[in-house]
Amino acid sequence: MDAKLKETILNPIFKGNPITVLVLGICSSLAVTVTLKGALVMALSVIVVCGISSLILSLLRNTIPGRVRIIVQLVVVAMMVILVDQVLKSFEATYAIDKQLSVYIGLIITNCIVMGRIEAFALGNKPWPSFLDGVANGAGYGLILIIVAFFRELLGSGTLFGIDILNRFGYVPNNLVILPPFALILLGCIVWVQRSIQKDLQEK
Amino acid sequence: MNTNNNVYTVIYTTVIVVIVAALLAFVSQSLKAKQEANEKADTISQMLTSAQYGTKAEISGLGNAAVLEKYAQEIDKAFVIDLEGNVLRDLDEMEVYSPKQLKRQNYNIKGGPNKTGEPELPVFLFKNGRTVVPIYGAGLWGPIWGYMSFDTDLKTIGGAYFDHESETAGLGAKIKDDPSFQQEFVGEVADFSSKNVFEIVKGGAPKDAEGKSVVDNKIDAISGATMTSQGLDAAIDTWLGAYAKYFMGNAPKKQHCGKCGHHHEGEEVESNEVEE
Repeated sequence: MDAKLKETILNPIFKGNPITVLVLGICSSLAVTVTLKGALVMALSVIVVCGISSLILSLLRNTIPGRVRIIVQLVVVAMMVILVDQVLKSFEATYAIDKQLSVYIGLIITNCIVMGRIEAFALGNKPWPSFLDGVANGAGYGLILIIVAFFRELLGSGTLFGIDILNRFGYVPNNLVILPPFALILLGCIVWVQRSIQKDLQEK
Repeated sequence: MNTNNNVYTVIYTTVIVVIVAALLAFVSQSLKAKQEANEKADTISQMLTSAQYGTKAEISGLGNAAVLEKYAQEIDKAFVIDLEGNVLRDLDEMEVYSPKQLKRQNYNIKGGPNKTGEPELPVFLFKNGRTVVPIYGAGLWGPIWGYMSFDTDLKTIGGAYFDHESETAGLGAKIKDDPSFQQEFVGEVADFSSKNVFEIVKGGAPKDAEGKSVVDNKIDAISGATMTSQGLDAAIDTWLGAYAKYFMGNAPKKQHCGKCGHHHEGEEVESNEVEE
């Protein structure tokens, strides 16, 4: 694999993470990180939507009329979001989680990461790198979601994936952790950690 | 090729939209049966939850097939009544009302331009003695619905479970997500003779000296979710109001017996009946 492609995949995971560096997709990362299961399903949904939308639009990139390109992007992303929602609703295992995530699956369409990567990358690159870029950005988003959800479920409910971890030792679940403000505090801490490792992100 | 040409732009967008619409319609049709089966199992698990067969998580965790089986085991009678409390027909085996059907009945109860016929209200009697009825109404952002169960005296609430389409997470969504809210209903008593059959009040329901909720038809609303609380209150009043004649007509009679000085439940005491 050539270095450029490797950079396309690895950059969004850490150095150019969509949440902690680009500060996109904050809203849903506060809302769906109460449980690990919810965060995982949301992360996978965003990866699928982001990857396939980027692929389709990259294939179409030379045919799309410039004046309506945002609308064409919107139609394709909306289609992917509805497909993901419909599929999640159809399986017994994911029906409950789809109900729990409710509007947030539908709101993936407003997740700036998806349209942002299409506009910035997919419309100017070949299908394969575009697909990888979409998947990698979805994964970068998902990674932060899962880190946040790990702490929120562990401290807020005393469980991980619904399995009791702390409660058996007499841990009293902390209700603050369940509330969205705590996710913002946690997110702040993650940005702090990343900026102390990656000095070039610090403003002078 | 000039992609900025007007004719090209119109044809391009039309083709894209038609392809996407056709694809989505096809997917929606082919997945419909599976989605409806999931919805039905979910509805049944909500009814079992309100009838206190376990928590929602416990019942849903059994899986669709086991939920249907448990319902088949535990259901005693299921029938449809009219506003006067008369039984119109028995429900088919395993027949339940989907949220869509509840919505139609909600229009029929309330009247107005969307009314399609006389209300046909489902009643579910479970083998543990509880009677489960649905409620349906408008929350802040979308529909809310749920099930309430009543003990054999047909006025004490045995349990309640509510669901919603799009209430605010952390606030209005608590009607579904917060078990302590649903727990507040348990043991309270609906007042079927009043227009306000049940009330969800702001500022706290009346409490006794020990700080426990008084047994009445009031519970505390959810902080920060005034509109959802009011919507739920209205939904409960509308639906339990529609069921009022059935509940009052079928409630066991409680009369004072002159001979032994005891209350007798569920039996007629002839000596107190005055023939005219």
